[in-house]
Amino acid sequence: MKTNERLAVFLIILATIGVLVGVFAIEKYRRGQLYTVQLTARVPENGNWYPRQISVPAGEKVRIYIRNIETITHGFAIPDFEVAVKEIKAGEVVVVEFTPDKKGTFPFMCTVWCSDHHLDMTGELIVE
Amino acid sequence: MTKNKLFGLIDLDTRFELTKFKLVRMLFKSRWFPLLVILFNLAIFLVILIAGFIGGYSSGNYNFGVMVVWILWWVLLMFMLVPVFARSWCLMCPFPIFGEWFQRGKLFGVKTGKLNGLGLKWPKALKNMWLMNFLFLGTTYFSGFFTVRPLATFILLGAIILLAFIVMIVFEKRNFCLYMCPVSGFQGLYSQFAMSEIRRKDPEICKHHTPKTCFVGNEKGHGCPWNLMPFDFKKNTYCGMCLECFKTCPYDNMAFNLRPPGIDLLVDTPREPKGLDEAWKAFIMLGIAIVFFLGFQGPWGWLKDMIRATTTKGYLGYIAGHTIFNLLAIPSVFFIFAFLSKLFSGNKEVSLKQVFINFSYTLVPLGLGVWIAFSLGIILPNGSYILHIISDPFAWGWNIFGTAHFPWTPVFTKYLGLLQGGIMVLFYLFSLVYGFRLSKQTYGDETQAKLGWLPILVFLTGITIVFLWLFLAA
Ligand code: SF4
Ligand code: SF4
Ligand SMILES: [Cu+2]
Repeated sequence: MKTNERLAVFLIILATIGVLVGVFAIEKYRRGQLYTVQLTARVPENGNWYPRQISVPAGEKVRIYIRNIETITHGFAIPDFEVAVKEIKAGEVVVVEFTPDKKGTFPFMCTVWCSDHHLDMTGELIVE
Repeated sequence: MTKNKLFGLIDLDTRFELTKFKLVRMLFKSRWFPLLVILFNLAIFLVILIAGFIGGYSSGNYNFGVMVVWILWWVLLMFMLVPVFARSWCLMCPFPIFGEWFQRGKLFGVKTGKLNGLGLKWPKALKNMWLMNFLFLGTTYFSGFFTVRPLATFILLGAIILLAFIVMIVFEKRNFCLYMCPVSGFQGLYSQFAMSEIRRKDPEICKHHTPKTCFVGNEKGHGCPWNLMPFDFKKNTYCGMCLECFKTCPYDNMAFNLRPPGIDLLVDTPREPKGLDEAWKAFIMLGIAIVFFLGFQGPWGWLKDMIRATTTKGYLGYIAGHTIFNLLAIPSVFFIFAFLSKLFSGNKEVSLKQVFINFSYTLVPLGLGVWIAFSLGIILPNGSYILHIISDPFAWGWNIFGTAHFPWTPVFTKYLGLLQGGIMVLFYLFSLVYGFRLSKQTYGDETQAKLGWLPILVFLTGITIVFLWLFLAA
């Protein structure tokens, strides 16, 4: 009885605090391993790209993790490095990978006509 | 129609006892069951809460919480858990677990003697479905947000689990479940139709057994937490399938049976009477199904906008219209037909109220059919999202099962209308076979029963035709 009770309490802690801690720990580890930059996509009147400016090291493989938190579709492109994602659907996450081979400041932008201010949905990639 | 056979085929007394299998009985008697299932669901529930919170105000289509609760859970509930296994959801529901832990001071073990907490008795005036009727209707005011805003789902579920805990500190046993939980009422009512039941086997054994351990509890288990007398009840409505009585009965006299659907609809005893509270539950469930169907699966964008609160005025209009429609309009129309029924039957003894109440139970199969059809309209087009969200529950780019990029694939949607129509007709037939029996119960006399049945038949047929038209034309 005593051991069963302890086991049950252990399991309920696992099911609650365990899940909570586990989920965030895994995510933290995974992000540390995988991604160099994170980007959030929103229409300009709703906050625009966040952050608007990202810096990455030159010559190293870069992973950008893009999360669309809106109810409409966006797109993503960095023309100077021939990076393009045609569609990032509502709520979706995409990851782009490339290796920047030149230094400087380059524009990135949304490629889907998402709002009247779509043309303002741009940001800057700084390669140093 | 022969007297005691459903559709002239299945004897209403047919039972198939699942607990006659040793393994099943062993499982039911183990204290790990249903505890382990509850803990598993609690873990899932936590993932839902996290996803709901992180998802916040973003789109719902790709959110784990929204999808699992409103697509998977709701559809499972309507499709299988309730119509086949009665309150089997309550068996595995994680909401009351903290309250129960507090009351018992133990998760696994049995507390003998008084439970912890204030242990107040539930007020007599509230021992019915009214509170749940209003709470459930109130919850549907926000239905436009639940499926679109993950945070709304987070708030709703968080509120329920918190409320359950608080109520269980103040009131004894599972009174929260019995009389407050918003999803409890319809589970109770529709469980009367269900194809399973928990009942005692041999009344003789119970008669000679004192004290009745299934009610007062013993070292193997708690006395019925749902305040039933397991040795003698006839309706599924308030049996939460917690399985304690399987553990407490020293004679293995409790059984889990499969049975023909709908039997409890005919039960009307002084201890488990038919009542206006359940009648209104039936109206509300039917009404909400109609509103949801028109709002979410119908072609009317303006209605959807009202429910989703695009404008405050429209939203207030929805709340008012929805409330009046469910609490007043449907019952009023039904009242007219009940009135006609009594008039046609020529019966003078039965009160109009009794006629109204008795026939309202014909709406149980019909309402369940509408909900199942409505659920099909959710799961077939959207079910494939589930593959996506179980692999990436927090939209963080995870891919746990490798299905995160599974494309949106509607299944069978071509035949959706036909399937919905077929289900509607099936449950309409159930309403008829039980409706006529209810008519005989109400009027006693065969001729009166036939005449009095006519108006109700017209009403049920009318509703069914409207739905068939909606399913097949849309
Ligand atoms: S009544 Fe509600 S809270 Fe209680 S077990 Fe059933 S679903 Fe869960
Ligand atoms: S103890 Fe009560 S609620 Fe639990 S299964 Fe038995 S009769 Fe149903
Ligand atoms: Cu855009």
